Amino acid sequence: MNAPWWFGRVLWAFVRRELSAVGGYRAAFFVRMLGLATAVGSMVFLSRFVSAAVNPHLAEYNGNYLGFMVLGLLAAEFQQVGVSGLAQRIRTAQMMGTLEAEIATPAPPWMVLGAPPVYEFGVAALRSAAYLTAAALLLGLDLDHANWLSLAVTVPLVIAAFSGLGLLAAGTTMLVRKLNPVATVIGSLSVFLSGVLYPMSVLPGWLRAVGQLLPLTHALAALRGALLVGAGPRALAHSFVALALFAGVLAPVGVGVFAFALRRARVDGSLSHY
Amino acid sequence: MSAAPVVVAEGLGKVFRPPASLGEMLRGRFFGHPTTALSQVSFSIAPGEIVCVMGPNGAGKSTLVRILGGLLLPSSGTARVCGVDAGTGGSAFRRRVAFVVGDERSFHFRVSGRANLHYFGALHGLPAGEARRRASGLLERVGLHDAANRPYREYSRGMRQRLALARGLLADPEVILLDEPTLGLDPRGARDMRQFLRDEVIRKPGRTAIVCSNDPSEVRALADRVLFLEAGRLHGDAPPERIEAELGL
Repeated sequence: MNAPWWFGRVLWAFVRRELSAVGGYRAAFFVRMLGLATAVGSMVFLSRFVSAAVNPHLAEYNGNYLGFMVLGLLAAEFQQVGVSGLAQRIRTAQMMGTLEAEIATPAPPWMVLGAPPVYEFGVAALRSAAYLTAAALLLGLDLDHANWLSLAVTVPLVIAAFSGLGLLAAGTTMLVRKLNPVATVIGSLSVFLSGVLYPMSVLPGWLRAVGQLLPLTHALAALRGALLVGAGPRALAHSFVALALFAGVLAPVGVGVFAFALRRARVDGSLSHY
Repeated sequence: MSAAPVVVAEGLGKVFRPPASLGEMLRGRFFGHPTTALSQVSFSIAPGEIVCVMGPNGAGKSTLVRILGGLLLPSSGTARVCGVDAGTGGSAFRRRVAFVVGDERSFHFRVSGRANLHYFGALHGLPAGEARRRASGLLERVGLHDAANRPYREYSRGMRQRLALARGLLADPEVILLDEPTLGLDPRGARDMRQFLRDEVIRKPGRTAIVCSNDPSEVRALADRVLFLEAGRLHGDAPPERIEAELGL
């Protein structure tokens, strides 16, 4: 059986298993929906408040703070999924005791551990599309200028960059046996310096420079450029190159750290405990 | 001429080096005090043989079968199973050698036994139809057919052990490694499981099996030969009739 087909089988079986377990998480689902409703309410009123006056920092985005903020939060969540999804899954599998049983099967480790993050990315992408559609239909989010070709280039680059971070985070989680110091550091720095809730133009120059070292900064520039401004691929080339560089550097480093961590787990016997 | 051995261990050793405590790190050490789990263990097993590994808690039984199953890397020596180095064996190795993970936490609690087996069938590379067929057949064989669609969390200890066994048989392996397969079962459940293991799982298809156990009655019921481990060292290799003498009972 060839590897892509086999991985597809594993992914499909994983999705079916997750979906069949959803019924057992009804309370969590309703709590999540309640949290979402309150978050949307806060967004609406915050955007009304910020957009009430002409804001030079938002001129680049046609004064569209709602779109600015929604994209910022969705991209931040996407990063969170990418950075902590695999690490969280490994931690849970070690604690639950499923990791050793899965690694003991003929499937290569990358296949065992790859299905959950792909599923999480898929769910996050569907959720983001649903939020954007709801924001456009219910809250008047203006996506008329969106450049879908730019978006089609942006999304794979963003996923590749975040996946590299995710592998790095998963590797360090296995090595230090604590939940994901990389995710915590990257997550908090990104909210602070990547322009999730406010444009980077409000930051002092030296903080803006530090922000350039974070992949979310470039992901946001590309996503907002594509969806709010309608910028074409040429205009977003700088962001694309930055994202490709992050992916090109982080992915091999992440694979290396992760492979080392997996071997280390086979040396110290920590596949079956945490 | 006797057949070539299926399992060959030569000078196997395993030393665990736990992470250093904060105090040790401040003294410049990365690891805590090393623990020797196995030392210079050598043996071989012929095709179709059932070998039990006995020894007190902490003797190194689980470490040994994990090394043979390729889940743990030895610190020294080599382990070859089906002619392949267990430390470097890939997918083909794990199709031929099944380590039956008896840990009852190793299944998804919220989904059924059948759904759990379907997922592991995919990890074994079985096409969906084949995975379904094989899962149904195995659930029938281990006596879980009627409970197959119940959530795993509702299974008793014995049912969980049987589902773990069914999972181990998904790939139809040549060698099966079992770590205390009847641990926690009531006497009747343990007896039935031993009988099923010996007759249906091992003897009938002609598999080779290594079973870790602390229970003399289990070892007598299953084993052709017994390896005795103590403090990580192999100090006996004898027929099951000699259990009491070897253990000093």
